[in-house]
Amino acid sequence: MVSDGFALLAELLAVIEDPRLADRQLVARCVAGDMSAERALYDAHVDRIYRLMFRMAGEQELAEDFTQETFIRAFNRLEQYRGDSALGTWLHAIAVSVALNGLRKVKRIRVRTEPIEDSPRLAVQPKGLTADLKAKLHTAVSALSEKLRPVFVMHDVEGYTHEEIAGVLGIPVGTSKARLFDARAKLRLALAAFAGDHIA
Amino acid sequence: MNDDEMDELLIQSTRDYNEPGAVPREAMWARIQSERHGHRGSGGGSPNRTRWPWIAGALAAGLVLAAGIAIGRRLERTGVSNPSRVAVTPAVAPRDTGAKQPPDSMVKELRGETRNTQQRVAQLVKEPSSASGAATPESDNLAYRLVMLRHIAGSEAMITAFRESARRGEVDAQIADWSRELLGTTRMLEASPVTQDPVMKRLLEDLDLVIVQIAQYTTTGKHNPDDLDLIEQSIKKRGVMTKLRSTLPVRTLPAGT
Repeated sequence: MVSDGFALLAELLAVIEDPRLADRQLVARCVAGDMSAERALYDAHVDRIYRLMFRMAGEQELAEDFTQETFIRAFNRLEQYRGDSALGTWLHAIAVSVALNGLRKVKRIRVRTEPIEDSPRLAVQPKGLTADLKAKLHTAVSALSEKLRPVFVMHDVEGYTHEEIAGVLGIPVGTSKARLFDARAKLRLALAAFAGDHIA
Repeated sequence: MNDDEMDELLIQSTRDYNEPGAVPREAMWARIQSERHGHRGSGGGSPNRTRWPWIAGALAAGLVLAAGIAIGRRLERTGVSNPSRVAVTPAVAPRDTGAKQPPDSMVKELRGETRNTQQRVAQLVKEPSSASGAATPESDNLAYRLVMLRHIAGSEAMITAFRESARRGEVDAQIADWSRELLGTTRMLEASPVTQDPVMKRLLEDLDLVIVQIAQYTTTGKHNPDDLDLIEQSIKKRGVMTKLRSTLPVRTLPAGT
């Protein structure tokens, strides 16, 4: 009993010293065919990934498809996970790739992502900070490029840090910051008339 | 309005950008499992291999009989169900008979049967034999009916095992996995030609509901009498066990055959 306690303590200390140890252990169990480990992996990450997929896709059906595809790919490639990054980062990298590829293929998403300047509704200038402003802003976010939108959504909408975004997208932290700056600049430009009218 | 103020406005206004609702965990998990087992099932073998010709159907019929009898016999030996009246009696033996939970090895074996069935369904869905010209649509129908029978046998075994463990106040993690596997197969069958038969369609819908409830309950790992009561009500209200047994002819065989 005492030795079991020490073993548990040693395991906990090892995980504290190397946070990715738990990830590697979980992955090893999955690779060995342990279904409860697969489920544990899924449970640990599905909420955050689904949220991001929904933010990116804007539709439940697509968000579900992208999330499912992410985990299917992840489970099929688990042997390739070496623990160089956190498991969550590795999964998110797959997820963002799945979402971007998927969105390219989905026609109805292209409609949603039509350039903001092409939208005739922008000529309308509603008064006050209303739902209309939000609607226009959301359209503008959807119209951001493939490089800018994931960074904006992850940082400003979902609250990821630049370090996390850099890890997921495989870009330097500085690039993540620069893309966020560009995204905000485009959104400011797109909404300038509306906001100016509101402030005035 | 300067850039900082504009940024603040942007951030405030985008907090509900594509706001997600509740995460459909179980539904996605079931589909992930179905897809993965489907790929595994179709991964091996020669590409020119004929799938589900009539001869394979006959062999499968034998397998169904063997699987059904094996499941029934094994549960009978452990006292989970009554051997002589299995087709008409309630699924769960009375409390005072001292019914036992199937041992882990048996549950594993039964889950193995479930996975085999899931692979066969996935294979059929992905590559119907009639599509390749290897066989006729009739042979596909037979193949679907056979896997449906296997699925019914597995579902009955899982629900019976679940009720027994629940009666003892236990929540068996193996049943959590087992039920999710069965849910995946149920969903695949719900999207298959099996549902052209209205009886089978209703049975699958009933099974879907009950298995989802069991999967959700067992995944929590906590004993909850209220949730158990709801599951039991669903099983009884929809007559799930009766329907399962009346659809499974092999279980009506007298003991010893």
